[in-house]
This record gives sequence, structure tokens and C-alpha cells, in this order.
Amino acid sequence: MTTTSRWVGTAALAVVLGWAVSGSGVSVAALVQGRQGAAALIEGFLSPDLSREFLGDVAAAVVETVQISLTGLLFAALLGLPLAFLIAGNVQAPRPLRSAARVVAAMLRGVPDLLWALLFVATVGPGAAAGAMALAVHGAGLLAKLCAEQMEAVDPGPVEALRLTGAGRPATAMLAVVPQAAPGLASLLLYQWECNLRTSTVLGFVGAGGIGQELAISLKLFRYDELSTLILAILAIILVVDRASRAVRRRLGATS
Amino acid sequence: MDIHTSDLTVDFAHRRLRAVDGLSLRIAAGEHVALLGPSGAGKSTLLRALLGAVCATGSVRVGGMDPYSAAQRRAVRRATGVIRQGGDLVPGLTARTNAFMGSSPEWTVRDWLTVLCGRVPSRYAVRLGTLAERHGVAESLSAPVRELSGGQRQRVALIRALLPGPRLILADEPTSGLDPVNAAAAVDALCALPGSVTVIVATHDLAVAGRFPRILALRDGRLAHDGATIGAEIYT
Ligand SMILES: Nc1ncnc2c1ncn2[C@@H]1O[C@H](COP(=O)(O)OP(=O)(O)OP(=O)(O)O)[C@@H](O)[C@H]1O
Ligand SMILES: [Mg+2]
Repeated sequence: MTTTSRWVGTAALAVVLGWAVSGSGVSVAALVQGRQGAAALIEGFLSPDLSREFLGDVAAAVVETVQISLTGLLFAALLGLPLAFLIAGNVQAPRPLRSAARVVAAMLRGVPDLLWALLFVATVGPGAAAGAMALAVHGAGLLAKLCAEQMEAVDPGPVEALRLTGAGRPATAMLAVVPQAAPGLASLLLYQWECNLRTSTVLGFVGAGGIGQELAISLKLFRYDELSTLILAILAIILVVDRASRAVRRRLGATS
Repeated sequence: MDIHTSDLTVDFAHRRLRAVDGLSLRIAAGEHVALLGPSGAGKSTLLRALLGAVCATGSVRVGGMDPYSAAQRRAVRRATGVIRQGGDLVPGLTARTNAFMGSSPEWTVRDWLTVLCGRVPSRYAVRLGTLAERHGVAESLSAPVRELSGGQRQRVALIRALLPGPRLILADEPTSGLDPVNAAAAVDALCALPGSVTVIVATHDLAVAGRFPRILALRDGRLAHDGATIGAEIYT
């Protein structure tokens, strides 16, 4: 690259970034103006609402959030793994089925999970069911793609060895592809669970149940003391799940 | 099963490489044949072509069936036991499951359930026990394959090929990685197969080849030798 073109490139980049920053309205002035709100927020955060009554509400919301994330994972796996089977090249599913599965998976994961949640709230009404369905549908599309890639990455030697015994395509997949991919698949499912949990903390903002619903209410009522408790609770679940899933994955890795 | 190829050619076009070059070959049913030749001569490729596993031109008949016809390929493969170079077992499964998975085309739904529970369907248990005993892996059957030594894997692969009772055995370096005693046991097992079973063994071991009544040698994908004896000169 010549010096001139490098300068032009840098200038163009600066213009684009400047345009983006000015458009989003980020400025020191805005932060200063918001200092009163920030002060109220900090004050609330320093005195979390630990009344027995509210803690009961929080606990119920936490339980519902975990339930949403697990139900979402279960149905995402039930829907996504069969799609992954059809998509994975070394399973050699019939071509039309393979393309169909690919298109379906791409559509499922192409729509963001919050948008799915809105759609399900509109159809089945607000509540945890809408949230779990949104996670299931979006997660299925994601798992289909990631698990298919995991299956395609297995050592092809044993797969061909099995095919040479005259085993059919489903038998080859069951005996040579899945056993090799199993630790990777389990690790993907755990990771998807972590993602589900993170997402299900905000699903409540669109009325799809879980702790996000409490969060939205407290935010609207400017109850920063409650907000503080809720955020602490969210951090706690995420940390716990993170630890748990990392421990399980390490064990899977050690035995694979 | 008898084998008949005429003008069999395998090209790896992306490498501009002709691995098997116009090979015409006749092997009678029940014949035991050793396949020699320098590394890269096309031995493994020829064995794969006999099962329709690489793109080839020319014609192949195995027991009168065409492995390149979609309808007959599985029948050819089911009647054949393959031992591939290095074994190619499924690492996540136990030696036991690997040892009898070659019979999967015969499994009933019930057999599949038994296998998924990690057990051996009873009609294979005796045969599996006998073969495992003979090849010295009876104690290793419960271990996952990734914990076996190279030689133990090679013997499990041998059992996998023998267990379904094939009519053709294609063994690609079945003694690589074996100590002399186990290597002899593996060759004994192949030589002792009844006259109804055709055996082709690709090997670099002249002593192993000497155990077979007919020795073929490949060189650059062509037949360089076909006779009862052979010396080291094929490598020069
Ligand atoms: N899948 C493949 N794609 C491209 N080239 C290949 C492939 N398999 C084999 N070859 C090439 O074809 C030639 C013959 O290979 P082959 O494996 O048949 O040799 P071999 O006689 O079995 O050798 P060795 O004694 O080392 O096992 C080699 O040059 C090899 O690099
Ligand atoms: Mg070879």
C-alpha cells in the first residue's frame, strides 16, 4: 500500500467513526447531565432491598428464570439435534432433506431471540411459556448449525471404516459420527444453557417471564433498591451456572 | 468370492496422480494373496476400489457383484471384512463395541437397544469371546479404544473384520505395530481362514508375504509381479 492510500484509508475510517459517535449522541455533556440519575442509582444500589417479602419475590423469579432456560434448552436440543444430523455432510442425508434442514435452521436462528419472544407473547400471551418457546426455537437453529459442524469435524477414518462394513447411513452416524462428536456436543449444549440463562434474564422486558419482568417493573417505578437486589441475584445465577458448566465441561474434556 | 478387475484405474485428479493404472486382475474364490509394493504404489487405493470407496474407471466384479453400482455396493461390503491401515476404530467407544460393530447390518431393533445400553447381543458374545481370547485382547475389551496401545487396536480391528464371518478379507497392513508373537497370531488367523474365504493382505513384511501361496506386487499403480515367491528386489 502506498502512503497516500493509507492516509486516505485512515481519514475515511475516522469520518465513519465520527459519524457513528455523533449519531448515537454519546458525549461527556450527556453523562454530566445524567449525574443526578446516576446519584440516585448509586444510592439505591448501595442499599439493596433485602426485605423478606421482596426476597421471596426474587427467589420465585430466579426459579422461573432457571426453569425457562432449561425448558428452552430441552426443546432446542430435541428440535436442533435432528436438524444437525440432516445437515452434517458426513452423515450423508438425502440431498433435498439436507437443504431443507439447512434453510429451516437458518430461519430459526436468523430471527433474534427477543424478537421470537415478542412473537410468542403475541400468540400464547405473556408469561414464562412464551420465553421458553422463544429460547427453544432460536436455540434449535443455533444448535443445528453448531452441532452439525461438530459432527463434520470428527476423524473421517473410523467413519469410512464403518461404511466399508456395509453399515447404512443411520448406523454409520450412530456408531462412528456421534460417539466421536459426543464430548463436543455435550459441551455445546452446556454453553447453550449458559446463553439461555443470560437471555432469559432480559426476556421479561418483552413480557416473556422470568426475573426480567421484576427488573422492568422496578426500573419503571424508580425502585433502585429493588433493582440492586435483582441485579445481584442475576449475577449470582450467572456465576453459579458458569462455574457449574465449566466444571462439567472440564470433566468431559478430560475423558474425551 | 472371486475378484475380477479389468483396466481398473484410479485418478486423484486434484493431485494429477494416477494411483492405480489400468489394472487387470483375476483372483479366484478362496485364494489367499499377499499384496506387496513400495510405499505409495497404490495398495491401499486398490483395496478401497474393490469396495467402491474411491472414484474409479474400468470395471470391478467381486463375487459377480459390482461395488460401483449403488444397488450392489452394500451387499459387496457386507460380505467383506476390512482391516484398514492403522485400524481406524471409533475412539469414544469401548474395544468391545468396536470389535463387533462390523455386524451392524444384521442387527435387529432389539440388538440396537442392547448395543446402546453398552452390552453385546447374546448371539455374538461367544464368538467375540473366542476371538478376543485368541488375539490376546480379552482383558482390554471393556476399555475405551483411546486407552489401548497401537497393537491392541490393530487386533481389535482384526476381530471386527473377522467376527461377521466374511467371504472376503481385505487386510491393509494388519501386522503394523504388532510384536512378533501377536503378528504371527494375526497372520495365522488370516491364513487359517477356510477355503471359502478369499484373503488379500497388503504388507511390507516379506516374511508375512512368504506365508501366502500367491504374491502380487504393485509399482506405480501397475502390476509388477505375480508369482509364488518374491525377493526384496521389488523395492529397488
Ligand atoms: N484420498 C487421496 N487423495 C489423494 N491422493 C491419494 C489419496 N489416497 C492416496 N493417495 C495417493 O495415491 C498414491 C497411492 O496411495 P496408497 O495409499 O494406495 O499407497 P500404498 O501402496 O498403500 O502405500 P503404503 O505402503 O505407504 O501404505 C499415493 O501417492 C498417495 O499419496
Ligand atoms: Mg497403504
